[in-house]
Amino acid sequence: MNMKMIKSFAFAAPLVFAALVPAMASAQEFSKELVEKGRYLATASDCVACHTNHADGKPMAGGLPMSSPVGTIMSTNITPSKEFGIGNYTQAQFSDAVRKGVRGDGSNLYPAMPYVSYSVMTDEDIHALYAYFMQGVDPVDEKAPETKLPFPMNIRASIMGWNLLFRPNEVHVDDPSQSAEWNRGKYLAEGAGHCSTCHTPRGAFMQEQKSLNLTGGQVGAWYAPDITNDKVHGIGSWSQQDFVTYLKTGKLENKAQAAGSMAEAISYSFQHLTDGDLNAIVTYVRSVPSANASPASGATRFDNGKAGNDMAAFRGKEYAESLAGNHAGAQIFTANCASCHGYNAQGTRDGYYPSLFHNAATAGDNSINVISAILNGVDRHTDAGHVFMPPFGDQTNAVVQLNNVEVASLSNYLLAQYGNEKLKVTPEDVQVIREGGPKSNIVQLARIGMGAGAAVVVFLLAGLIWYRARRKTLPVPSV
Amino acid sequence: MVTKNSADVVIVGTGVVGVVIAEQLLDAGHSVLMIEAGPRVTRAEVVENWRNAPLGVKGDTSVAYPSRPWAPHPMGNEKPEDAYLQLSGPDSYAQTFIRYAGGSTWHWAGTSWRLTPEDMRLKSLYGVGRDWAIDYDTLESYYVRTENKLGICGPSDRGLQWPQTGARSAPYPMPALPFSPGETRFTEIAKSLGYNNIPVAQARNSGMPYDGRPACCGNNNCVPVCPVAAKYDAETALHRLEKKGATLLVDSVVYKVETNAQNKIEAVSYYDQHKESHRITGKLFVLACNGLENPKLLLMSKDDRNPNGVANSSDQVGRNMMDHPQLTLTVTTKEPFWSGVGPVVNSGIMETSQGSFRSEHAGAYFRYNNFARNRFVTFAALKKGLVGKALDEEIRRMTACTADVVAAHEVLPDPNNRLTLSDKTDWLGLPKPHIHYDVGEYTRRSAEVYSLPIGKRIAEAMGATDVKISPKFNQSKHIMGGTIMGNEASNSVVDVDCRSHDHENLFIPGGGAMASTACGNSTITMVALAIKSADAIVEQMRGA
Repeated sequence: MNMKMIKSFAFAAPLVFAALVPAMASAQEFSKELVEKGRYLATASDCVACHTNHADGKPMAGGLPMSSPVGTIMSTNITPSKEFGIGNYTQAQFSDAVRKGVRGDGSNLYPAMPYVSYSVMTDEDIHALYAYFMQGVDPVDEKAPETKLPFPMNIRASIMGWNLLFRPNEVHVDDPSQSAEWNRGKYLAEGAGHCSTCHTPRGAFMQEQKSLNLTGGQVGAWYAPDITNDKVHGIGSWSQQDFVTYLKTGKLENKAQAAGSMAEAISYSFQHLTDGDLNAIVTYVRSVPSANASPASGATRFDNGKAGNDMAAFRGKEYAESLAGNHAGAQIFTANCASCHGYNAQGTRDGYYPSLFHNAATAGDNSINVISAILNGVDRHTDAGHVFMPPFGDQTNAVVQLNNVEVASLSNYLLAQYGNEKLKVTPEDVQVIREGGPKSNIVQLARIGMGAGAAVVVFLLAGLIWYRARRKTLPVPSV
Repeated sequence: MVTKNSADVVIVGTGVVGVVIAEQLLDAGHSVLMIEAGPRVTRAEVVENWRNAPLGVKGDTSVAYPSRPWAPHPMGNEKPEDAYLQLSGPDSYAQTFIRYAGGSTWHWAGTSWRLTPEDMRLKSLYGVGRDWAIDYDTLESYYVRTENKLGICGPSDRGLQWPQTGARSAPYPMPALPFSPGETRFTEIAKSLGYNNIPVAQARNSGMPYDGRPACCGNNNCVPVCPVAAKYDAETALHRLEKKGATLLVDSVVYKVETNAQNKIEAVSYYDQHKESHRITGKLFVLACNGLENPKLLLMSKDDRNPNGVANSSDQVGRNMMDHPQLTLTVTTKEPFWSGVGPVVNSGIMETSQGSFRSEHAGAYFRYNNFARNRFVTFAALKKGLVGKALDEEIRRMTACTADVVAAHEVLPDPNNRLTLSDKTDWLGLPKPHIHYDVGEYTRRSAEVYSLPIGKRIAEAMGATDVKISPKFNQSKHIMGGTIMGNEASNSVVDVDCRSHDHENLFIPGGGAMASTACGNSTITMVALAIKSADAIVEQMRGA
């Protein structure tokens, strides 16, 4: 071995060593404090809700099927597994995935991943999140099932144009005219908390319609209601404490309770946040006005309906006869609901079983959550215990498998007797919710467009033109 | 491959024994076809059947389950001569059971006392009855699996668990339910007499959902039906089994088990509700029709090779019919007790079922029934001629100040307590079961010298102003013994896996196999035996 070789070896050895043992080294790479900060941010971002198959999967290992208007999307393995997860991601790649929706291999994520919201997160917080995912999450060496969307949605490149149009790319900047609490709340609500992902209605291209911020949107089989400060349609009638209580417990007695993905958000995310952060989120959200504010009169979406029942109309008749008669809904209510919710739908005194009047599910502005609660039940874990209403759809644990006509009859009874009597439900409405919510026309539109040889190209061009125009006036954020 | 007329495993009956075995076989990859004599109904319908029934007929829980013509089961309003169960002997064997998809767990209370090691060795320890062919330690792991499968709640305090003499290798999956005011008071009174009233182990979701079913919400309606499926019943498994690939035939009454030249089971035949016959073939057959219907079917299936009936070379099929004969003390008290908060049976004194006295007479288990009392006392209040507010007040007073204390006894297996085929036939022309029954001196002596004296002391300590004791033994609807288990093919019907001694591909699991009754309800032991059978079937199918 000559001198040159020895010198070069001496020089190269640490590099080789460093290249060979990153996994070992990474255990000491980030401070405990940083990892814990990242863990908190991951909780605030509710990563685990989607990236875990809660039936039988491991945390963050993906595999949860998520119903979307364009088809079922499977969540991915985001554990630090090098083969099946994000273990090989650099921080820059991680940042691009979280804030830009671009995977490590350069392909695009579907916007089911709320990177549109996460794009406001600061470099500092992204760094903490990265530290947590590399060091605070157990790697799971299992491949998550792949997403298979229909053509043309299976072409991920089509998302590029969408991103150009709809991804903001702006890191949060404090508004000096507002309080520190409000700014913290805005950062969390718009970023990690991604409230608008569900509560803002989507446009024709499935983009959030910012002009209708937080005025309510369909999320799969559920409806994420208006949470602007509008007193009738929004939550303007709630106090600061009401709202904090709701986020901690998923329940506000005689007003509302969380189900569907909001139950998950409460179970996995909100209840674990600090009182300071919850108050900040509430302070901000309570300042968001409605784009279509209603006259400040009339019942709120929490205080319709009253106790009562229709039993005198059918008690003593054969069950089948009652089902075929004019009081089918009341009969179905008594047979399936009253054992827990009370014969007058009054709920229990401890509030574990809510009353069905003075309840956002029945008194809301649409019937989606009535139908969905019946078909899908409620499942929520908080410090107060496991809240569980069994489903009445086609699930293996459905107490009774109610058909569409029965669910429609029951819904109409609940709405008329206990909620928003203006609403009417048809069996077809029930079928839509049974199938996981309305499907977007975007697939059909894109196919038609492709048929004309134009859609994606036009889409991309439109995006580019618009994006270029935008660049002239706005600085490109550095991320 | 499962079709409408063939499968790897054919299971007759869709009660708890059938569905537990079916699920294990499906999970092991076998095709399963289940045949149910009765209809499949929704929980909603059963709940409303009960609520629509007038108060006067609610003494018979079967009113919520009207039987179909082709699948008769005992109904409370039958005349003895027309009844489905034809009875004779000094004591009645008027059991109730349900021929519906989901079986009789629809209306069980959920009570799940394990046997004790001593309960399984009556002959060795006390010189009476029979020893089991297996011991408690063998059964223990199957009890644990049963407790997890059904979702049985019970105390975590070892001192409050049953049995005290046998080991327990795993905790209950859920905690015990709290006591009602009446039970709390009863427990204190029992304690003052030296007895421990302990929380019942019960197949009920206590304070939490379990297995996708909701928590008990305290309807106190467990019998005749849990309206929310917080209590385990086999109906809750049916849709899951179908999604796992099981075929479920309902309204299909199996009337013949057919053997082939090797004396293996070749097929079963059933009548549909139009009296048309169909034949189902399979590799292996499980009879899970309950302790009355199993022996009836075996006796009906006699052929040239099996002149006493299928599986009956021992002549023990239909013999040793057992139950838990019970006596009720209806106690009127000065002070209010208030039953009815929580489930209908929630505690019991089990230690009185054990002791060296068992060489002389039966043991007994005492329970304070936690049924809300208003339904039972209303007629007495009406008979007093009261109306209006006075009537309301009297109903309220008697609801609070009356209680049922039940003494449930063991019986010994007696070959003369026998199910045979009656000359009378049912709607399909099939013979009705006839049961001759005598609870026996062993049990009668217990009532005379042991259980009733204890019961009266308890009643006195409760501050009774009046005690009414049932004039004769009532039935507990715990049907046991008719296809009894043993090591000897000459004096028993099934082996330790509930496999027929006579036919290697026929399993007859459940209460019929039990060689002793002890005093606690039989379902948990039936299911433990079913799971043991399922293990054996999976093993046997592997070799097939």
